[in-house]
Amino acid sequence: MSQLEAHTDAGVAMKRAVKLVDCDVHAQATEPMLAKYLSAPARRLLERYGRRTPRVTEWYPRARNAGMRVDAWPDKPGHIWGSDPETMRAQLLDEFEVDYAVLEVLSGQDCYDHPDFAAEWNSAVNEWQAEEWLSFDSRLRGTIAVPHEYPDLAVAEIQRRAADDRFVAVLLPASAAEQLGAPKYWPIYEAATACGRPVAFHTGGYVDHRGAGYPSFYLDYHVGNGIVMQTQLTSMVAGGMFEAIPGLRVILTECGVAWTAALIWSLDAAWELMREDHPRLERRPSEYIREHVWFTTQPIEEPDDPQHLVWAIEQARLGDRLLFATDYPHWDFDSPKQALPRALGDSLRRAILCENALALYGLPRERAVGE
Amino acid sequence: MDDAIDCDVHCAPESYDVLFPYLSDYWRQYITEAGVRLNGMAHAYPRGVVAPAPASYEALAERVLRGASEPRIVVLNCLTGFETHRNPYFAAAVAAALNDWLREEFLSRDSRLRASLVVSTVSPDDAVSEIERMGEDPGFVQVLLPVRSDLPWGHKNNHPMFAAARAAGLQVGLHAWGRAGKAPTPSGFTTTYLEDYLGNQPIAQAQVLSFISEGVFERFPELRVVVSECGFAWLAPLLWRFDKDWKGVWREVPWVKRRPSEYVREHFCFTTAPAHLPSDPVAIDQVVEMMAGSAALVYASDYPHEHGDALAALLGRLSDEQRRRLMCGTAADLYGLAAGADYQIR
Repeated sequence: MSQLEAHTDAGVAMKRAVKLVDCDVHAQATEPMLAKYLSAPARRLLERYGRRTPRVTEWYPRARNAGMRVDAWPDKPGHIWGSDPETMRAQLLDEFEVDYAVLEVLSGQDCYDHPDFAAEWNSAVNEWQAEEWLSFDSRLRGTIAVPHEYPDLAVAEIQRRAADDRFVAVLLPASAAEQLGAPKYWPIYEAATACGRPVAFHTGGYVDHRGAGYPSFYLDYHVGNGIVMQTQLTSMVAGGMFEAIPGLRVILTECGVAWTAALIWSLDAAWELMREDHPRLERRPSEYIREHVWFTTQPIEEPDDPQHLVWAIEQARLGDRLLFATDYPHWDFDSPKQALPRALGDSLRRAILCENALALYGLPRERAVGE
Repeated sequence: MDDAIDCDVHCAPESYDVLFPYLSDYWRQYITEAGVRLNGMAHAYPRGVVAPAPASYEALAERVLRGASEPRIVVLNCLTGFETHRNPYFAAAVAAALNDWLREEFLSRDSRLRASLVVSTVSPDDAVSEIERMGEDPGFVQVLLPVRSDLPWGHKNNHPMFAAARAAGLQVGLHAWGRAGKAPTPSGFTTTYLEDYLGNQPIAQAQVLSFISEGVFERFPELRVVVSECGFAWLAPLLWRFDKDWKGVWREVPWVKRRPSEYVREHFCFTTAPAHLPSDPVAIDQVVEMMAGSAALVYASDYPHEHGDALAALLGRLSDEQRRRLMCGTAADLYGLAAGADYQIR
């Protein structure tokens, strides 16, 4: 029996200093799991016609095990990877002593659904998240799924969840019907900011590869997720949303981090050359990014010389902006024990693994154990 | 600069009238009756802030060849073909006319000049025909493709173009812009010029991924791709992720036999304009070191386009040998313009 369990058994409240926050964990709902939260018409629509959104795995099948960790499929009827809280607790929270894990449920993300259905569906994701996960383990935190293509409905959903402080962010995809810096989406960002939540943009969504055309393989599609986010960050800066919503905080999730410096240099150089093209931007693009943008680490880039990663982080001044993430249960899971190279140094590693996330989400530095 | 090879200088006919001697009656009539006009790619190079590309040899000589820089060799990129991009028959006819014009107006008049071969960007078959018609003319050094495309250029549908290019001794040049009127991002149109201008850089990244994932360089080991006007500081971080992902999913692309970064290092070059770089010299040194392991840079003035003065800062941080390779040596090897060779093309 461990010391921790002994204290618990004795009924002594014990606090643990928080050391590890995982900012991108996937709980995945199956359709039957969410159907019970839907109205009768929406449930009938789902059963008879299904959703309009093809799964990304239909376009880009993943080479093995459907792109998931081999051990992530629970041996329970009706379950898939990421759908069972007990499996996740054993494989992630307990195994790596995660203090807080932020769930990003991607089941709601698309922009094909009818607004009535989209609103119900995302609300169902949040109900399921709260009942089945956030109430299951006090280490879990949620993100508010919203029907982002219908900003008024998204705002209503944010306001519905705002009182539940276990939801720590608003979740949007990295691609949508319009550029994410478009004014269409600003009401969502304003509503999130008004209730003290950052907006987390997660890789995925409706990615129409219009610039170069559709890649042929999962490999170039998946590496390309970082490229998509570069385009979106450019749109966010150039469109003026950081100027318009001063308190807005955004988290770019599962898109890599090392490209940021090169993008900042390009943005600043272009801003100098083209001041009259974007009169609303009063400051250098790099300053808006510095103030408003956080990044999750997984999949962290792995240069041959780890010092190059240190340079990339320093060049973009990301030391207090990086949030550790495992991306459990996906195949490219970054282990908390191995993913961050030693070259980063202890204090930067501590900031990434824990401090930056605590500051961003306003989470307690200590948590009760054995509840 | 007198030994420089300038890998990206622009020229463009002022109007279709200039091309009439090289077009059939049908296309002359089509252009006249439909009122088709060239606009100098105004969406890409707004007329209020970008000078027009030289439209004649005299203008080029005055503005580039006799200017302060006096490069030893100039590679001309005529982007006019990017403007005629949907009717495949028109695109093929205009491409051929542009090449005839480039040869008569520029290449035949100055032994310092080379050009990219204009081809249809919508029909690989037509591109192959044009490469076969004109590609062996020693004035042409590479096949010009727009970085923006409907299918990534590495796709197997495009491989006959690369086979024809290699048979004619040509490389491939991917240049910023193209596909006017088509949204350049994964979520649609951009609303500012700045976004569209910088949009070429992520698109170029997607093209790099495509060439490697599709195994182009396993099929065409002598092929080199020169990426122009799309930046380069983004390359090293892209390859860190590319190598990592390939280790995980290589089964999907068994023809990719080595780490992606190895192919890129051997087969890609990037022009120096724009060189969007940090102001801190230490950070520039870091970029130089990361770039040295990633791919070669080749000098380009990109005349008449302006991108700021980062190139001077970059050159100031290079060793003499690095500078010589960037200004001249790499491009000489790439295009077969070895030192001491006879540059007379006719």
